[in-house]
Amino acid sequence: MKRLSIASVALLALLAGGAVRVVQDQCGPFTDVTPAFCPYILELYYLGVTAGTSATTFSPDDPLTRGQGSVFVAKGLNQALARSSRRAALGQWWTTTPHWDLGLGVTTLGSSPRWVACDGSDIWVGGENPGAGVARVRGSDGKLIENHSAMNPQDIVIAMGRVFAVVETAPFTGGLYSIDPSQPDSEAVLVGQTDAGAGDPEGLAFDGSKFWIGLNGNSMWTFTPSPSLPWTGQAVPVGSFYNPIFDGTFIWAAGGPSLVRISSDGSTKLTVPVPATVQRLVFDGANVWATTTSPDSVVVVSAGGTIVANLTGNGLFLPGALAFDGQRILVTNANDSISLWTAADLTPLGSVQTGAGTNPSSVCSDGVNFWVALRGSGQLARF
Amino acid sequence: MKKLLILPVALAALLAGGAVRVVQDQCGPFTDVTPAFCPYILELYYLGVTAGTSATTFSPDDPLTRGQGSVFVAKGLNQALARSSRRAALGQWWTTKTQNALGSTTVGANPVFTVADGADVWVTFSEHVLRVRASDARILETWTGATQLNGAIVAAMGQVFVTGYSAGGNHWAIFRIDPSQSDTTMADVATIPSPISIAFDGARLWTANGDSRSISITTPGPTLPWSTTTVNPPDLGETFYLTFDGAHMWVTATNQQFVEFDEAGNILRSVPLDFGSNLGKPVFDGANFWIPDFGHNAVIVVRASDGTVVTTLTAAEMVTPTIAAFDGTRVLVSCTDGVFLWNAADLTPIGFTPTGAASSPYGSSSDGINFWIPLEGIDQLVRF
Repeated sequence: MKRLSIASVALLALLAGGAVRVVQDQCGPFTDVTPAFCPYILELYYLGVTAGTSATTFSPDDPLTRGQGSVFVAKGLNQALARSSRRAALGQWWTTTPHWDLGLGVTTLGSSPRWVACDGSDIWVGGENPGAGVARVRGSDGKLIENHSAMNPQDIVIAMGRVFAVVETAPFTGGLYSIDPSQPDSEAVLVGQTDAGAGDPEGLAFDGSKFWIGLNGNSMWTFTPSPSLPWTGQAVPVGSFYNPIFDGTFIWAAGGPSLVRISSDGSTKLTVPVPATVQRLVFDGANVWATTTSPDSVVVVSAGGTIVANLTGNGLFLPGALAFDGQRILVTNANDSISLWTAADLTPLGSVQTGAGTNPSSVCSDGVNFWVALRGSGQLARF
Repeated sequence: MKKLLILPVALAALLAGGAVRVVQDQCGPFTDVTPAFCPYILELYYLGVTAGTSATTFSPDDPLTRGQGSVFVAKGLNQALARSSRRAALGQWWTTKTQNALGSTTVGANPVFTVADGADVWVTFSEHVLRVRASDARILETWTGATQLNGAIVAAMGQVFVTGYSAGGNHWAIFRIDPSQSDTTMADVATIPSPISIAFDGARLWTANGDSRSISITTPGPTLPWSTTTVNPPDLGETFYLTFDGAHMWVTATNQQFVEFDEAGNILRSVPLDFGSNLGKPVFDGANFWIPDFGHNAVIVVRASDGTVVTTLTAAEMVTPTIAAFDGTRVLVSCTDGVFLWNAADLTPIGFTPTGAASSPYGSSSDGINFWIPLEGIDQLVRF
């Protein structure tokens, strides 16, 4: 148990003429901590969570105030998050200043990338141009390794070991396609389709049992996987909501100047009015972050539906897509830039230019890097 | 910092006749928090750890009770666990709920056990081992060279080890798979008496030897065969599943015991279990062991630090629980034609998911994103 620390303290005390008994009772710099508490108090001292009540005392029997307790917990949580990230294990403590103009950290694609999704190993990129397919880029080195059949997707979700994309198969009609990544260059399979005229598809989410498609119409649609095709589709008459996400319990979606929280069976709905038009959403384990425009901001809403913050500045300009990497939130802006925040305490980390004409349009994270689709320059960039 | 957070509060206060100075001193919704404490208290407020003592106060100078402190730490820990999982970064907040939502791959007859090496998943069959790429479940390789593979498998030292019967040597052995080699023949590295399970302690491979009522400890060396020491602890009965807790090796044994060993194979502690001798394969979650008891349709949770039986979990849907796996936040237990999940930190049940009639889920593992479940009855490998 922390032998070197105790040995060092003993040596220092001996050099200072301290009594051996006192030295053996010490706990790091603290003279008032008993052995039973020592390992835990020393851990907080080493981690910078506490400096004690003086240079040599911790006052372990003093009552803790609610404020002091908050400092302990918040600093401890920050340490846990920082050290448990994959970036910590890889020694990647930096926040990137891109050199994408020099060809560093970018993959050039054949068409304008519009949507990205990370599966933990590879990145799947949906092209915007008619006939553009879904490209597969290896996360470890950014190499373009496969292209899957053409579909011009409107969003991509990874689930059940497959890649799913929502496509406008006909005017005001949404189709759900599945790609099997275990088969090289496989054709995408249409697994379900909304009624004709149901609305333009905008966004796709998975809740563990069924897919939710956002529609610019009167309903959302769900598709439930089944052994045979087509999968059963069902309109969920909650209104015109788009860009859905799942928070582990509820589906959230955007609907003009409001967010809506929908139960998984579609039976209950909570509407959260926000100050401006909602664009896209992401969930960070506690809160939903939503980009809004006119005015430009990021609204942070608790899972219970309370607005806890409305963030402006930090380089926001017509913000669009968002992603969460376990610690940070990244937002794409329409003026060739991205903005970042620390997710736990909402501290702004600043904004970074992505290059003239790059037009960042979508982003995902694989736990190490953010991957940003640069719609304007036809590239996929890591951050 | 957080301009719009402060602005609406200021606006609200102005509308209510509040003084500007007071508003500027505010910390989120709280009017009684000083700037030195504000970032930390706001972080806990944003994370949902605390809502304060009223809509506008936090009471930072009030003493923190043991109960309040427990809430702070537990909620903070839950946030750390949830956010640090790889599923968080990938936005995969769901838990699979239905049989049809399982991503499946047909892998051949009777897959038994799996182990994840961080990139690939290795699946054992009676006479071969399959390598499956975890990112997309593409089948990469088939490894052969042994028979009667009993399912025991561990990934260690950049290699994969299984136990089985030597195809030509007429003995039970540990076999090594070197994933870096193109020759997909397993190598016989040590002779072992009838091994049932295998585990690694950071330096040596341990096997529990079933009806031999022994434990073998094999030390890797520069030449083959590797040296093995076999110990026969008294009164254990048959030894089955080994689990390493970061400090010591533990084994399940037929005499209703869960036994902890020192590095030499001497018994340090025996945890008597009153639930019979039908114990499945445990998993360690960093604090506790989760031990399936298929004789009594229960899962026994044992604290590693002192051997205390923390609780025994049961559920109506959980029939014949056999194998446990842990993904960093959740524990999954294979049962008859389904799997049951719990949150590992607070032991709350997540629920039962069926895997299909006669599917027989068995030796599950996790790669930190998905659980991988071999469905022995229908020749499928599914991700969960």
